[in-house]
Amino acid sequence: MLTAAKNQIKVTLLTTKYAVMREMLNKATFLSNVIFMILNNSTFLIQWFLLLSIKESIGGYDIHKILYLWGLASLSYGVAHFFFKGAFHIGEIINEGKLDSYMVQPKNILISVSTASCSPSAMGDIIYGFVLFFVNDPSVVNFLLYTLFGITGGLIVTSVAIILNSLSFWFARTDSIADAGMNLMTTFATYPGTIFKGATKIILYTIVPLGATAYIPIDILTNFDWKYTLIVLGVTVLFVFLAFFIFYRGLKRYASSNLMSARI
Amino acid sequence: MKKYLYAFKFEVMTTLQYAFNFIGKMFSLFLMIFVFMNLWNFMYDDPSQAINGYTKFQMIWYVSISELIYFITRGRQTCEEISRHIKNGNIAYTINKPYDYVVYTLFTLLGRSFVSSAFYTAFIMIIGSAFTGSLPALTSIELLGVILVFALAITISLLLVIAIGLFSFIFEDSSPMYWIYSKIWLICGTLFPIEFFPVWAQNILKFTPIYVITGPSRLIVNFNAEAFVQTLIAQGIYLVFAFGLCELIYRKGMKKLNVNGG
Repeated sequence: MLTAAKNQIKVTLLTTKYAVMREMLNKATFLSNVIFMILNNSTFLIQWFLLLSIKESIGGYDIHKILYLWGLASLSYGVAHFFFKGAFHIGEIINEGKLDSYMVQPKNILISVSTASCSPSAMGDIIYGFVLFFVNDPSVVNFLLYTLFGITGGLIVTSVAIILNSLSFWFARTDSIADAGMNLMTTFATYPGTIFKGATKIILYTIVPLGATAYIPIDILTNFDWKYTLIVLGVTVLFVFLAFFIFYRGLKRYASSNLMSARI
Repeated sequence: MKKYLYAFKFEVMTTLQYAFNFIGKMFSLFLMIFVFMNLWNFMYDDPSQAINGYTKFQMIWYVSISELIYFITRGRQTCEEISRHIKNGNIAYTINKPYDYVVYTLFTLLGRSFVSSAFYTAFIMIIGSAFTGSLPALTSIELLGVILVFALAITISLLLVIAIGLFSFIFEDSSPMYWIYSKIWLICGTLFPIEFFPVWAQNILKFTPIYVITGPSRLIVNFNAEAFVQTLIAQGIYLVFAFGLCELIYRKGMKKLNVNGG
């Protein structure tokens, strides 16, 4: 069991390494993508400086919390798209019948598909996430917590992408639903949860797990609480489990298109 | 001109065939507007309060219309498409075609935008009214004026997207340029009127294309003849500038284009 897990991790790391190497073939393009993504994310700080010049705090979020919010959103998004970009294209792969080449491999299919490609610009998101952290709060304990929440956030975002993309096993052309779902997560993740009320707030803490990717981690970073940390970890495990469960339930319905393809 | 009108008509008909796609995209538009309505609801303690000259009603309509223009003309896919044509050499096929590439692309995009404008404008009017309780008060002549500057804003915005896409003749991938442009456009004009910026920044922003693209949003919440004429003149200048820029990059790029046969 332990050896199998060790082997899976080894293969996953190798797949990620080769995906990164493929993207780095053209170093100038890779670097420009990273740098431009950092600049791209930085423009949003202007928005918050303007808003905070009108009101000192927005729903209890001052500049300190806003930097955490943006940093965590970037870091989670970056982790998800850099290490698991393939997860965001599972629907497309299913629709085109391209899962066959992953199914013949002796390792976990979902992990193989998810780690098969990488987004170079997502490295810009990761770097930006850490830059915001160091500008905001360079303490060691919070650094460890922040990194942990970046990883849990990335895993939750990836799990949601897998769940939404797996709908393609049951229904045709569900890519617009998956896009809309991911859009919803990204849009709401960059605004304080406290500005939303009623049903929206309930949805953001339940169906759309932004409470666990952003809002609760920010509360933990500003006022540490073990119970909330365990809740974030629990929600992460739950979403990862759900992603595997739904993907493998759907996989039983998968019909090959006999498409000849090679993974290079 | 007739051939470009055919391209426009063809794109309108094609887009209408996939009208169902608008439903999914409307959800994304709704999300953006919904977040901002919540945000501005939070920012205004009292609906009659004015922040930098904008009441809550004006602010919500400003953001709705500027988001609408942003949504209709955002051109990530267009940029990537032009970039791809340049990188894989397909753009060489346009040399022997009896049309001007820039004008043809513009009319194709205008065809697409014409249909999406109709769908999204109706949608924005409904959700804007639901949030604020009424539509902005405009006379019929003022409304015609707003429609004119709206059409010009869309055209200028599309030309700028084409220009950025054509920059792939110089850089291998112009997408990062588009990211930066779209974010500056989003923050410095779409989500906030320029009156929200410090005076020195306002003086710079007034000379950028973002100012003329967001012209309709300013006019819809505060229409006056002087602002209308100023916007129209500035749009005329930018229209010529943006078209000239596209033609310049295209012609210079085509001269140094190398395509391997196959």
